[in-house]
Amino acid sequence: MKPGLSNERSLEHPIIWIAVIAGALGSILLLKAVAWLAFPLILAVVLYYLVQPLLQRLQLAGVTPGQALGIFLGAATILTLIFSVTILPSMLNSLADFQNQIPTYWDRLQGVLRDNLLALEERFSFAKKAGLANSFQEQMNLFLAGAGKEYIADVALFLLHWLPSLLLVPFLTFFFLRDGTAFHRLVLRAVPNAFFEKTLLLFDRMDNQMRAYFRGMFGLTMLDTVSLGLGLWFLGHGTGIFGFWDAMFLGLICAIFAWVPYIGSGLGGILAVATVAVKAPSSSGLMVAVVLLFLGVRLLDEFIYTPMTVGRALRMHPLITVMMIFSGGMLGGVYGLLLAMPLLGIFTVLGQMFAEIWFDPRLRARYQARGLLEKRLASKDLGI
Amino acid sequence: MCGLWGESNFMNLLSLFSPPPMDPLLQIVSGVAIFRDCNRAELEALKLHLHERHFLAGEIVFDEGEDGEGMYVVIRGKLRANRKGVLSKKSLGVIQAGESFGEMALLGAGPRMATVVAEEDTTVLAMFRPELVALAQARPRLGYKIAMGVALVLESRLRRVAEGQSSEPSAT
Repeated sequence: MKPGLSNERSLEHPIIWIAVIAGALGSILLLKAVAWLAFPLILAVVLYYLVQPLLQRLQLAGVTPGQALGIFLGAATILTLIFSVTILPSMLNSLADFQNQIPTYWDRLQGVLRDNLLALEERFSFAKKAGLANSFQEQMNLFLAGAGKEYIADVALFLLHWLPSLLLVPFLTFFFLRDGTAFHRLVLRAVPNAFFEKTLLLFDRMDNQMRAYFRGMFGLTMLDTVSLGLGLWFLGHGTGIFGFWDAMFLGLICAIFAWVPYIGSGLGGILAVATVAVKAPSSSGLMVAVVLLFLGVRLLDEFIYTPMTVGRALRMHPLITVMMIFSGGMLGGVYGLLLAMPLLGIFTVLGQMFAEIWFDPRLRARYQARGLLEKRLASKDLGI
Repeated sequence: MCGLWGESNFMNLLSLFSPPPMDPLLQIVSGVAIFRDCNRAELEALKLHLHERHFLAGEIVFDEGEDGEGMYVVIRGKLRANRKGVLSKKSLGVIQAGESFGEMALLGAGPRMATVVAEEDTTVLAMFRPELVALAQARPRLGYKIAMGVALVLESRLRRVAEGQSSEPSAT
């Protein structure tokens, strides 16, 4: 068999596909178990891929890798200080205002939902028989009396648990940037001679794919944020619902939601509609406009933004994507939802790597020949 | 006089201002035709992308027909390049310490044109094409020197073949 053919048939093996899916789901469970470490680690990897091109630009300008890292760290420290002194205090004030208004927003949201359910009861007799509005109110009261408080306590504990671990992010990113190449070489030392060139090539492919994915996702998030933010601002600034920065912030949250394929965009849309419902309960036309805005941005995403940024690097069959997201969500909660697709992408490349190397008979023959040479050498030394 | 400013102390003080001795591996690499024009800083940058590999006598380094992904510099030992003939394999010659082979792979992922086998226990430094390309993008001056080095090596080989001299063992 020609070596080049192995690439085409590498993912045809069913065992490889089963192993890829099992590996991705197993990793979700593992990462959930060590979430305090996994979360900063993933953020550090994302930052590494975002910062690396900046360092390369600096090196192009003639500085050494060490100097480039120093310049970047200096600039990052100065920017952080400026941010802490100028923008952070006003952000904290806005957050405090928002926190004070949460009960009002919550009451308004309940009111809007209750009004809509009552309208539904008026129009449909089955809804009236079921007593939708009353049972909804009962469920909400029950939630607030018991489970809601527990959830809030859980969320507070969760935040307290992982926020300190975020301090690890700059630390890890620094060492990834400084020692990434040396670590890469250390890992490669363990690869047998027969598989060395192929492994190097596949590592390079995986590195490129991850870089393209993270940079693409960053670009896509920025484009989504700007599109949604401008759209929401355009729709809401006349009626005083959204200021510019409020709209941009909501756009950013919705764009982050969209990291979860298919489901995320819908959740973001619901969040934006709920925000409009809370801030202007009587303007149903505006809610329809927000829904249309989300549909429009979804189409832009599908046909222009995604091909421009993430491309088709991690495109999977929609059925596999949805199954993976639901399985990930079931096994790992929010982590699972967010990580299912990137992990599936990584395990697919790893599966390809393994299959291309292991199912190449020439490489395996060379590996076995090396084993025989070692055995012969050992026998000779021992005089057997 | 052996006081504070004695000769040995003065020499020690001077040594603080002289660069530390070059890594022995880099000394060998600096003698390879492709990297002969690289200065010390460039060689140090290159060092991060050198992979040291050890081959036992009789072990294949790469195989004729497989996709080439990088070139090698022999640090220690001896290798032989063979090409498949109609009836039997044809030996292209021996590659000694300080020589390089497989440079064609730096130009593109074409198939290897010969099989290289270690004749004795051998240590080589492997350089991988995508890593060298990334390094050349980050340091275009170094990239230019390497590209020129590869071009000159291939030019001299072509000239030898055209002049009817023996085919070069490292033209792999």
